[in-house]
Amino acid sequence: MALFERMWDMCSELHFPSVREWKRAHPDGRAIAYFPVYTPVELIHAAGMFPVGLAGAGDRLDIQHADARFGSFICSIVKTTLEMALTGHLEPFDGFLFSSICDSARNLCFVLKRNFPGMYVDFLHLPHNPSSPAATQFLVEEYRRILAELERLGNCRVRDDTLHRSIALYNHNRALIRELYDLRTRNPEQVPTWQLYQLIRAGNFMPVEEHTAQLQEALVQFRAGGTKQRDSIRIVVEGSFCEQPPLPLIRLIEDAGCYIVDDDFVIGQSWFDSDVPREGDPLWALATSYMDHAVCSSVRHDFRKPRWEELVAKVRRSQADAVLFLVAKFCEPAYFDYVPYRQELERAGIPHLQLEFEEKSFTFDRLRMEVETFVESLVFD
Amino acid sequence: MTDKKEYRGSIHQRQKDLMLAWYGQLDQAALTGTPPTVSMMISGNCVELLEGFGAVPLYPEINALQLAIRHQSLDPILAAEDLGYAADNCAYVKADIGCLLKGITPTDGKLPTPTLILCNFVGCNTYLKWFEHLAKFQRVPLYVIDVPFMRTDEPSRSDLDYVVNQLNETVKRLEQLTGRKFDYDRFRQAVECSSRTEGLWSQIKHLARRSPSPFDAYFDAITLMGPLYVYRAKPEGVEFFEAALAELEAKADAHKGVYEQEHFRLVMEGPPPYPYFRTFRDMFAKWQACAVASTYSTVGGLWEFGFRHDPDHPFESVAMHMIAQNVTNRNLLQRYEQIRRYVEDWDADGVIIHFVKSCRLFSAGQGDMRDYFTKQLGVPTLYVESDLEDPRYFAEAQTKNRIDAFFESLEHTKATASIRRKV
Amino acid sequence: MRIVAGVDVGSTQTKAVIMSDNGGLQIIARALVDTGANVQRAAERAFDTCCRQAALHTSDVGFIVGTGYGRYKIAFGNTQMTEITCHAKGASFLCPGTRTVIDMGGQDSKAISVGPKGEVLDFVMNDKCAAGTGRFLANSAEVMGITLDEVGPLSLQAKHPVKIATVCTVFVESDILSYLAQGKTAEDILGGVHIAIAKRTLSLARRLNIEPEITMTGGVARNKGMVQALEEVIGRKMQVSPDAQFIGAIGAALFALEKLDQSFEFGIWRGEHAASGGH
Repeated sequence: MALFERMWDMCSELHFPSVREWKRAHPDGRAIAYFPVYTPVELIHAAGMFPVGLAGAGDRLDIQHADARFGSFICSIVKTTLEMALTGHLEPFDGFLFSSICDSARNLCFVLKRNFPGMYVDFLHLPHNPSSPAATQFLVEEYRRILAELERLGNCRVRDDTLHRSIALYNHNRALIRELYDLRTRNPEQVPTWQLYQLIRAGNFMPVEEHTAQLQEALVQFRAGGTKQRDSIRIVVEGSFCEQPPLPLIRLIEDAGCYIVDDDFVIGQSWFDSDVPREGDPLWALATSYMDHAVCSSVRHDFRKPRWEELVAKVRRSQADAVLFLVAKFCEPAYFDYVPYRQELERAGIPHLQLEFEEKSFTFDRLRMEVETFVESLVFD
Repeated sequence: MTDKKEYRGSIHQRQKDLMLAWYGQLDQAALTGTPPTVSMMISGNCVELLEGFGAVPLYPEINALQLAIRHQSLDPILAAEDLGYAADNCAYVKADIGCLLKGITPTDGKLPTPTLILCNFVGCNTYLKWFEHLAKFQRVPLYVIDVPFMRTDEPSRSDLDYVVNQLNETVKRLEQLTGRKFDYDRFRQAVECSSRTEGLWSQIKHLARRSPSPFDAYFDAITLMGPLYVYRAKPEGVEFFEAALAELEAKADAHKGVYEQEHFRLVMEGPPPYPYFRTFRDMFAKWQACAVASTYSTVGGLWEFGFRHDPDHPFESVAMHMIAQNVTNRNLLQRYEQIRRYVEDWDADGVIIHFVKSCRLFSAGQGDMRDYFTKQLGVPTLYVESDLEDPRYFAEAQTKNRIDAFFESLEHTKATASIRRKV
Repeated sequence: MRIVAGVDVGSTQTKAVIMSDNGGLQIIARALVDTGANVQRAAERAFDTCCRQAALHTSDVGFIVGTGYGRYKIAFGNTQMTEITCHAKGASFLCPGTRTVIDMGGQDSKAISVGPKGEVLDFVMNDKCAAGTGRFLANSAEVMGITLDEVGPLSLQAKHPVKIATVCTVFVESDILSYLAQGKTAEDILGGVHIAIAKRTLSLARRLNIEPEITMTGGVARNKGMVQALEEVIGRKMQVSPDAQFIGAIGAALFALEKLDQSFEFGIWRGEHAASGGH
């Protein structure tokens, strides 16, 4: 479909034509890149800036410089992101935001800071103790701090009503993504994941208003689509995705006989399970939404409800038959979570398979065989 | 090799006694259920708080490293991998969880199931997962003190308030769990002990500025670190470090170094390869290369630049220590600055970067660190790789070659340059 | 009487078997050819050779299942199954009571947990590196200047196998050179190498429940030194079938029989990529 090819081109272009175009149209505008998984994009948007989600360079960039800075046993997305920076690809950006997802990503933040002293590089400490009543206040102050930096960078002042407008726009965008995911869970034959994925991921590179329009168009197309039902097994794909799977990998999973009825591929884009409130202090609204209405993820720690129980609940909700853990090579948070996840799935009698991938893979025979074997083992009981 | 390459004064024995006494207390707690014990992380630990309850700290990291030093870490690591932990998960975690699975401990004594698993999250994301898993396996309550990362030059008021609030919440939790009332005076006294111990430790660290240094600030410092984490807030800790300082000062005054001659002075970055601790040390001893400073010895706290716990502001200073005064919660650039200060003020010839596969906090980006020191500052820097806990990741021949090549070249440089380079 | 075939296209060799249930289930023909560059041709040659051996016409064969990495290129096949699924089935048939399969090939190794009917319950494959595979052996042999065929027998003569600590096949080369320089014998070094590989393989397999009987398959199964090292490290005798090379093809043929039996439906839809032979 032409819609999705356009989306994919946007995701693949390492020179960020959409960003350059936006800057041409907004001569004083600033583009702020952010590293996965979640960033409060409303703050960037309200400051009149263009938030762009980076997701590594996949297999499109050979690592020539980044290996010397980051050694072995480090995931690919950290290295390709640094490689992009060191080879000038990130030139259209004025700032770079990281958050507290893992040690490798955090060290990358400071390596960039040292190597690009002219750029605004910041680190957002998202709370890891939501059971503390003090955590929300802390997060509000942290958002205030980031906002102040953005105001300084953009030489502007951000008012509450501007923030409310940005929140409304992103609420709408997220609501549409939730709707698309719901449609796929109910009628997976209507929503091939390899198409949905390109659509969602393109949101990283487009102004939110444009992306929302694309989501609406896609929703209509998907609903109208009448692909016939297949005998596929329904699976949840779980992977703590910061590093993204190559598109052919998603296709081969579906081709091997799976309907992906839920996933956490670009989860930062639909981070909240409901709208962020539009009344009261907008920073407070964003902070409480993060604390109490955020989805489950391996990079967010909320000890009030164990992630492994949430995973089983997700499987039941989406009426899935099995779970496929897709772990990026060297992704420590995902490796750790696998242990309690696996135990809980075994207790619940839910079949599962764990596979490793790299964003820069371009041959998939091995993975194809493993997924097919898994499907065969479930079907030929 | 002569045995003069290891520091073995009376303090070495005293250190062993103290650690054995601690393990004895833990064994007692396992048998009788008293005193209460609290699992905690070494980095930025708040052991002072425990004193307010008469609670004893339990440090899974110390268990892990003890296993590795005694060459017992492989079996528990394999047991953990059977459970599903990956080859690339931190081996400290695997060794510790493996011990739990196999019911073994590094000493012959028992280890208690703690009253509370207190995760002082100071930068290391692995800490969060590790303690989360322990809490699940041991069925013990977990509380996480979320310490904001050093992303600005100084902590903000908001950062401090957040941590102080959580410390207060920890106190309430411990009151509920132990049935004991928090003894504020004991806590204050503990903070006071800490400030004294820290002062002594800082003086010891500064002794290494002398030439020759009376001790190795990496290999020997690591040995002295045990009492620092377990007894810092106790009078026994103060006594121990008073004795240590006296002994080392006497050595320094007598111009006694670690080796016959101090040929090279080094700053060491990164944890040691515990399963090959002795072997690794020998590789430097061969060249009579002495560490005069190290970043790893500041994981529990960074005191050589003046910070002390303050008994007049006990909660705030504990919070400050956890946020800003330990190497793990400080950002990578602040670590570069720390090492640069060591090279300059402790007058070092070079930097050794030991990349460990298990620890991304220390290791991710060390290539950039090397770039900074060699290209920007012109400081000779060597980069070697292995692991801190898993014995399968040590290439002895290769590591030795790299170290030898480094010192050969450094020797040549020193011979041809008559003045040490200032950065 | 029903006649079925299984064709296993591997990266270096292609195997085919024809089985019939005339008076009991049995293999009535088998063939082994080099895969070469043309996978489709290799599959055809292997199958045709089998038919001639059994004095059958190709149309006499009721159902053909293809497996192996080239399975999608077998145009004359009726359907395809992965080699893991087929290995489990084949190993169960050749070595009754099989509950665990350890397959060590040239480039990869796998462990499979097998049910009573030869069905796959769980499986693991080696991650990132070559440490538990034939590649490790090949590298070690090269460093020592001996042939791959000699490594197994030599290792069996080890008196004091050396300790190989590292998991990396590149690093082990320096260790081997170091030991040679120290005057250690080739037998002792190879003994150590075999044990290191066995431990690594066991480490992989232990992610499943290792249950007896354990059957070893794959090219490395022909190395008696490796079999012994594995048995030592696992602490149990393993089954190794003389037909080990054909296990995949046999498993495929058995699935072909089940299909012919109509005892279950092939309900899996394999997308357009499958029909066109993959990417």
